[in-house]
Amino acid sequence: MNDDDLQRELVSLPIKYLHQLAKGRIHRHFRLGKRRLIDCILALPSAQKMAIANDLQQISSVPKKSTTGSNRAQPHSPFYPQPSSPKKSHTSESTSPPIVLQDLLEGIGVPEPTAFIPDNWQREAVEAIAQSDVIVSAPTGSGKTFVATEAIKQAMASKQTVIYTSPLKALSNTKYMEFSEYFGKDTVGILTGDRRDNAQAPLLIMTTEILRNILYDATSGDLDLRLHTLGLVILDESQYLADPERGVVWEETLILCPTETRLLLLSASIGNPQELAEWLTSIRPNTSCHLIRHTKRSVPLRSLYLHPTGQLVPLLENRDIQQRKGYRFHPETKRLFNEYEFKPYH
Amino acid sequence: MPPAIHPIDLVDILRRHRLTPAIIFLTSRRGCDEAIDTFIHSTAGVSATRSKDIRVFLEQFAKDFPSIENHPLIPVVQDYGVAAHHAGHLPSWKMAIEELMRQGLLDAVFATTTLAAGVDFPARTVVISQSSVRKSQDFSDLTVSEIQQLAGRGGRRGKDFVGFVVVTPSPYIDLHVLGKGLTGQPESIDSQFVVSYPMVLNLLKAHTLDQIEGLLAKSFAQFQLNQRAAIHQERLNELHEQLKPYGPRECADWVAQWKVFDLARRRKAHRRPVVNTDSPYLTACLPFLTPGRLIGLAKGPAIILRQYRSRGTGTPMLSVLHTKGTIGECQAQRVMHIYDHVYEFHPIRTLPWCPPSTLHHFKQVLSQLPSRLPTVPIFEASQEADDPLLTEILTDQFACPTCPSHAACKKDFTSASRLQLKAQQVSKTIQALLDGLWHQFQRKADVLHKFGYLTANLQLTDEGEWGRLIRINHSLLITELIRMDAFSGMAPELLAGVMASIAHDDDRPSNYMRLTPGLASMLTQVRQVADSLSLYEPAPLLRSDVAAIAERWIGQTELSWTSLVRSTSMAEGDVYRLLARTLEFLSQIYGLKGTHPSLADTAHQAMVNMRREVLAELP
Ligand SMILES: Nc1ncnc2c1ncn2[C@@H]1O[C@H](COP(=O)(O)OP(=O)(O)O)[C@@H](O)[C@H]1O
Repeated sequence: MNDDDLQRELVSLPIKYLHQLAKGRIHRHFRLGKRRLIDCILALPSAQKMAIANDLQQISSVPKKSTTGSNRAQPHSPFYPQPSSPKKSHTSESTSPPIVLQDLLEGIGVPEPTAFIPDNWQREAVEAIAQSDVIVSAPTGSGKTFVATEAIKQAMASKQTVIYTSPLKALSNTKYMEFSEYFGKDTVGILTGDRRDNAQAPLLIMTTEILRNILYDATSGDLDLRLHTLGLVILDESQYLADPERGVVWEETLILCPTETRLLLLSASIGNPQELAEWLTSIRPNTSCHLIRHTKRSVPLRSLYLHPTGQLVPLLENRDIQQRKGYRFHPETKRLFNEYEFKPYH
Repeated sequence: MPPAIHPIDLVDILRRHRLTPAIIFLTSRRGCDEAIDTFIHSTAGVSATRSKDIRVFLEQFAKDFPSIENHPLIPVVQDYGVAAHHAGHLPSWKMAIEELMRQGLLDAVFATTTLAAGVDFPARTVVISQSSVRKSQDFSDLTVSEIQQLAGRGGRRGKDFVGFVVVTPSPYIDLHVLGKGLTGQPESIDSQFVVSYPMVLNLLKAHTLDQIEGLLAKSFAQFQLNQRAAIHQERLNELHEQLKPYGPRECADWVAQWKVFDLARRRKAHRRPVVNTDSPYLTACLPFLTPGRLIGLAKGPAIILRQYRSRGTGTPMLSVLHTKGTIGECQAQRVMHIYDHVYEFHPIRTLPWCPPSTLHHFKQVLSQLPSRLPTVPIFEASQEADDPLLTEILTDQFACPTCPSHAACKKDFTSASRLQLKAQQVSKTIQALLDGLWHQFQRKADVLHKFGYLTANLQLTDEGEWGRLIRINHSLLITELIRMDAFSGMAPELLAGVMASIAHDDDRPSNYMRLTPGLASMLTQVRQVADSLSLYEPAPLLRSDVAAIAERWIGQTELSWTSLVRSTSMAEGDVYRLLARTLEFLSQIYGLKGTHPSLADTAHQAMVNMRREVLAELP
């Protein structure tokens, strides 16, 4: 158990158990609030921390229900003598959330690392890009990068050049580092207005404006880069097409992109990806554009309302946020929020 | 407005419920910085081991990015495991914070909502305390897409079983905006295509006019315009269907005939000639300014309830429903925008000109208008020669009074002419939608011809050949300045200063900085040119303070970044962005090395001087 795990476990415990664990190990532990107590425990020499971790294992083998559900009844384990009833600390009060919250906060934690198994939509996207243009519209954090990297591998395997564009230099830099780590430094280059780092690499990262300029120069016969080997263009954050100032650059790029080049558009959730796909299909001969629309979040999302007094209650009546089903605020949120609106400053 | 809850309490509660790491979105940079400040000297610290891990990471990071080495916020981040992240920071610092967050070493990051727009930066929990954001000068509600971009940062795949959105109130928050945003369908995206000067030059460089028409037709803009045109086409077909019973009678165009006849009769009665003094533009607009049309007035959008001519002067007038819900009168020439929305209703002849239910519906419509509305392009018809039939009026010779269709025409005239008018409007709209982009292109090309970048038959001139390489905002201003030799023999720092003032489009105020006389007179000259071009290209802000910053950085190569930043009240991140953008502009000028070698040299020198310290850290 590393420090962070230990800390997480400790934080999840009601404070009385922490005092139990601290007994004999930390001087004047009963004087300390929960945070300080945890810090002191974490600052102990590692042998002692091991011992504490051991004790913790035993606690976690006690059914959790009994510690939280039934109004903090004392578990009948030899390990938990009656707490020495330290001064009631306000932290210990609020570590046991009220019943409604219990359900909402249930399951917080870190999953065990598992083997990477691509989702169906990811696999479908990777297969589709081998034959046609593809638009992927999926919520943030669902795994669009996997589709990109697989597509890049395919293209590089057949000795094609890949261009990856992002709307912001900051994102280009992040991707440059990420891809350099993943594909190897020599495989990745980056182009900006005045710098060309490793411009001969098979995978080139740039902003969409730079690609647009390359395409203009190419159509006017000014050369540039290896357009004839350009097999794949990936446009990240394609929803920028609707940016009032810069959106036009995405359209220019898509219109000018050679028809032999595959397009992969990655986009956050938008309302009309179908329309985009129909458009691309209509303007690019010999290929249709395949739409992969994934709307379900990979990690469920729940909502809470935090009142300025520190009360934490469910925001909505449904536990998990559900898309496109409407919403109803939880009565407790309604009550507290009315109170707040009536008298906002506490 | 900051949330009502104190930042330390907020983070404490998140920690207690194991809701960390969290991203806490606030409205302003200042809000983020102040939130962080409250932690100093508090007891909300992290464990010594975590502190150490953060320190070790930052030390390592500073090896690649020395600009963060002595960052003033390092102690807070290390001691309290919290950080601020907004556009006022250097990119290197933001990257450090992002990486710390990814490694799970921070508990909370206070960020402005701009973060959501494109940093890969997830957390277990996202805290939202506002429902609107500042956009240009105004506050507007967050859109569903924006809320989902924010909320979407909650719950990291592989690191969390569940993610959380915590809403905590601040003054002016509207919970319903958030409720809708969290559960609703994200907005559709619409094309923002506009034809720019560089686009025209670059297209003409490689394509024939026919090909260009084809390329413009391939835009998403045209795709969407076609869809709108198709809807109007359906409406037009319906109208034609309804017009069928009103086909040719004794005379083919009996509606027009009757109209003139009718007019003549009335004139006779009044003995006052109706003189049409409307401008051609107004005449072109009038067919669109009909009841139900959505228009933009100086006060904002409004819906037309009726069109009439003022009794005294004959000026075209409108009765309109304003956004506020009031009904008012206004001259038709005051209309600033004509939008592509017409709401059908049954006009009535007395105030409020429509049934109460319609009025109620319109008020609702007006309160929920999207911020961007498609407009109908207006083309002035060439002034139509005087209606040939008008001469006939004078002679008072009409067949109508004795015509067998007299009764039918009299009965049908009102409905038939109303339908015809509608049909004409609709087909004009369709035409406008189909030709809009091409017209835009032609207008831009005309300007380029006027300035000598294109020949009369739209070939690139020598000027156009190099002008097309300047593919940034304010390209016309820049190429014009180059053509008038405004930059010749100029020192690199002056060129950089001018480019900075053209490039910088942020009006966030900063303090005045001393300008060198050379730069000051140069800016005056540029401002004159920009003003003279303002009919063809909006003038840039041309702020002298940002010009001075760039001039100093390029001119004094021994000046350190720290002293540069200390000499202005601009945030470090803003100074960085200003210079990075200036670099972009300079590199375009450097691209003219084939035709303007000495200017390109100067630009290159400026770029070399620019690329030092923090400006050399990233590509
Ligand atoms: N099929 C999968 N199984 C498990 N984890 C995945 C899977 N696909 C992606 N991930 C992980 O999800 C996280 C977010 O993915 P990312 O590609 O950055 O999202 P997006 O680009 O859609 O915002 C990454 O850490 C990634 O490793």
